[in-house]
Amino acid sequence: MRFSRSAAAAAVLVLGAAALSGCSAGGASGADSGELVFITDKTWDFDNFSKESKKDIDVALETTAYADQEAFQAFVKQSFRTNKSPGLFTWHTGGQLEELVAEDLVAPTTDIWTKAVENGDVAESVRDLYTVDGEQYCTPISVDDWVMYYDKRTFEEYGLTAPATWDELMTVSDTLVDNGVAPFWNAGGNPWAFVWFQILAAGTDLDLYTGLTTGDVKFTDPEVVEVMNIWLDMKEKGYFTDPGSKVAAETQMKDQEVAMIPFGTWYASTLTTVGLESGTDWGVFPIPNVNPDQETTPVAIETAPACTASNSPQKDVGLEYAEWWMSSEAQTAWSEQEGNLPYNPNAEASTEEFQTIGAEFADPSYEFYLRWYEAAPAPILTASLDQFTGFMTNPGDPTPYLEGIQQVADEYWAGN
Amino acid sequence: MISRIVRYVVLGALGILWLLPIYLLLANAGKLTSEYSGSQLWSPGNLPALLSNVGEVFSTTDVPSGLGVTFLYATIAPFIAVVLGAGIGFAVIVLKLKHGFFWFFAVFCGTVFPLQIMVIPLFAAFSQIGLFDTFTGMTIVYAAVATPFSAFVMRNFFAGIAETVFEAAVVDGANPWRIFTRIYLPMSRSALVVVFILQATWVWNDLLLALVLTQSASTRPVMPLLAALQSTEGGGSAYTVVLTAALIVSIPTALLFMFTQRIFQRGLSLGQY
Amino acid sequence: MARRSSTNYQRAAWGFLAPGVVAVVLVLHLPVVYTVYLSFTDFNGLGDPDFVGLDNYVRMFRDPAVLTSIVNTLLWVVGTLVVPVGLGLVVAYLAFGLPGGAWLRVPFLIPYALSGVAVGVVFSFVLQNGGALSQALEWLNLPGSELRWLQDAPLNTFAMIIASAWQGVGVNALLFTVGLQSIPKEPLEAAKVDGAVGWRLFRYMIWPLLRPSTTIVVGLSIVNSLKTFDIVQSMTQGGPNRVSETLGVTMYRNTFLNSEYGLGAAVALFLTVITLAASIIYLRRQLTIGDPVKKAVRS
Repeated sequence: MRFSRSAAAAAVLVLGAAALSGCSAGGASGADSGELVFITDKTWDFDNFSKESKKDIDVALETTAYADQEAFQAFVKQSFRTNKSPGLFTWHTGGQLEELVAEDLVAPTTDIWTKAVENGDVAESVRDLYTVDGEQYCTPISVDDWVMYYDKRTFEEYGLTAPATWDELMTVSDTLVDNGVAPFWNAGGNPWAFVWFQILAAGTDLDLYTGLTTGDVKFTDPEVVEVMNIWLDMKEKGYFTDPGSKVAAETQMKDQEVAMIPFGTWYASTLTTVGLESGTDWGVFPIPNVNPDQETTPVAIETAPACTASNSPQKDVGLEYAEWWMSSEAQTAWSEQEGNLPYNPNAEASTEEFQTIGAEFADPSYEFYLRWYEAAPAPILTASLDQFTGFMTNPGDPTPYLEGIQQVADEYWAGN
Repeated sequence: MISRIVRYVVLGALGILWLLPIYLLLANAGKLTSEYSGSQLWSPGNLPALLSNVGEVFSTTDVPSGLGVTFLYATIAPFIAVVLGAGIGFAVIVLKLKHGFFWFFAVFCGTVFPLQIMVIPLFAAFSQIGLFDTFTGMTIVYAAVATPFSAFVMRNFFAGIAETVFEAAVVDGANPWRIFTRIYLPMSRSALVVVFILQATWVWNDLLLALVLTQSASTRPVMPLLAALQSTEGGGSAYTVVLTAALIVSIPTALLFMFTQRIFQRGLSLGQY
Repeated sequence: MARRSSTNYQRAAWGFLAPGVVAVVLVLHLPVVYTVYLSFTDFNGLGDPDFVGLDNYVRMFRDPAVLTSIVNTLLWVVGTLVVPVGLGLVVAYLAFGLPGGAWLRVPFLIPYALSGVAVGVVFSFVLQNGGALSQALEWLNLPGSELRWLQDAPLNTFAMIIASAWQGVGVNALLFTVGLQSIPKEPLEAAKVDGAVGWRLFRYMIWPLLRPSTTIVVGLSIVNSLKTFDIVQSMTQGGPNRVSETLGVTMYRNTFLNSEYGLGAAVALFLTVITLAASIIYLRRQLTIGDPVKKAVRS
């Protein structure tokens, strides 16, 4: 008896609360309130950024962050079939963008790009990443160059300076190993298993790297085996952290267990979360060519596009926002907030470290290439991440691992 | 007497073992990211750091804003599921519905299919009929997902109640609805509570459905907000702040388990009926 | 008497059954129908699915990793029956009737209350190379601190089963506790008077009377372990190099990582068929015992 009465009371309470919440929930969707619905798989602080745009162009973002990148992408793809397609969403360049363009799902941004390039807001090379069949789609939130972060405290302790060549880098590494510090961070699994393959392959021969992403080069070719053997050799010399550790790279650097971490310029803000300061605790240097005979030094880039669905009810305001994102005002604000390197040459990097490397990368001896994660087609990427992880975990003859990737690649290229 | 001591010792030792990982969580949530180290996981945290992390969670993250709506989902949906499941069990076992086992099995099949593959068709259907990103839509989904488990437990529980209970009530002139609400539901209180708290916990901790089926701040529960703090490519919150947030959102469910424990201690026995 | 009274309530029975059935069919069964359709198509999530017949099923079984995946999934089923179910029964039985027993169960329930993020953090703390477990073993001068818990197969699958036991024991104990409560007291008292104690009391009196709870716990354990996904995805992503993959992870990988919705749907359906088969075999034996309706239907 007592139970049923208290249960009934609870039910009334809960239903009452539901009714209240139902009222407050009604009409809160972004389309009505004049805010731009923005969905993203990134964890950046868009709410803060939204204040800037509100001030500048009177558009605020209503941001929903999706932590799980894969579920996010599946969700976005499905949303094109509904009236919920987003006015602005984050995506990836390369094959993933081409896929959407092939189905006519994203609004072209060619006019915006033409203007921006004329203004000198963005480099020609960045436009190429956003071009599919001669038209541009989406605009960049950020363009991040990959650099080597190094621990200035550790380097100072052992009398080391930032290396300029691969040989110097290896000498530095030997010193670090002798002192019980792992020179390089590396981790298995999705997403980061590709990092060292990318560095070594592009650093050996950029055409080889590009050939792998287009199907012109086989993973089993002797040149690729050679790249893997460099990796194996470095592994055997104790150059890498344990890929079975789940301690974040920045924590390992804070504890001075690892000295160098290769990442994009977005990583600066992560380093500050563990209390490492730019300039005093850490610095950056360009990752040198593995093969000194290569004419240019390749620098991996990745870029986070903001796209607008072509059938979105908020298409116009989405495009307006995308255009603003490239402006120097927006880029300066973004760089101040995220601590990364702005792609707009008229905007200023927020730290001295990045101002210096930004100037350095303006030199034509550097050549930019798309990082593996976007450059490789999805099934090949997935297979390569698996095999690279296997290789890191049980290092040895690279041939079976490469054959595993090639098998998937053969299947993929046969069907496309 | 000796056996009783042995029981205390075994349970106590196992219990301590079970709490060690919880200690790890608390100890490391009580560190600032500058103090946290992967090779010193066992070292204790400190209160100021814990408080500072809690402060960070409440001042810099969206997580607290999702607590209210999550509470509603986690109470309403399991409540509906408990009632629906008990109804199914009652129809199949007590009222002896023809082909009852078939219907019961059809409901049970709802647990068989992996949820990961269902979210995409669910999203497509929900956005067609206007349930996407609504409180009603989420409540319906959660209630439906929780119903098979509820039906499973309640069916088995009712099967343990003697048929004479029903017959005696019929002789007294009670109708099925009255028998259901006045006799069977009160008798199965502990089973109902178990189903409710397990499903409430499940709804509270659900990430996947919430991630895909909600979008605006007023409908999005706490787990997707928590998960969104974890960064792979920069941004996000400091690691120990995320850890603290993950612990804070677990407090309501942990309390739920603690305080419902006494219900199982009353020694309510069906044998009496 | 009972038979006649039951048929009198058919209409009322529909009233009790229908709301639940409608909710489950609309929300849970309809998406399955769509997935069945997808499994016969080639679909990347955009445009329209192309019908390809049984291609996806053929491709699925040609993938050598699927075999590993099936073996791992079976390991999970067996492991989950032994560890969390067995321990759950032990905890429930030991705590039952003890003064303060409810509080002794609490430590086992707290892990279930934790959010997924917290659970993921715990497991990576404990199981990573050089993690909390290795640190503790080293400190205690015990062997095993060098083991790579998550990197070597089949050790990683066993380690993850233990981890899932940490989370699951409390719930099983709770369900068993409810079962223990519904055991009639009189026959137990009579048996005790007759001198049945300890193991004999458990084996011949309590175990048979616990059957309704055992059915629930074992049934759910089979279904849930076949669908194992979360722990593996957060701990190893099925790796390194797919050695710890379960069917749930294979399905996720095809659908979400590679955008091969048809292939993912085929794996999902294969998994569903296995799960259904296991539940039918198990439930037929267990659930229909003492179920007069079922007998009536059969005859």
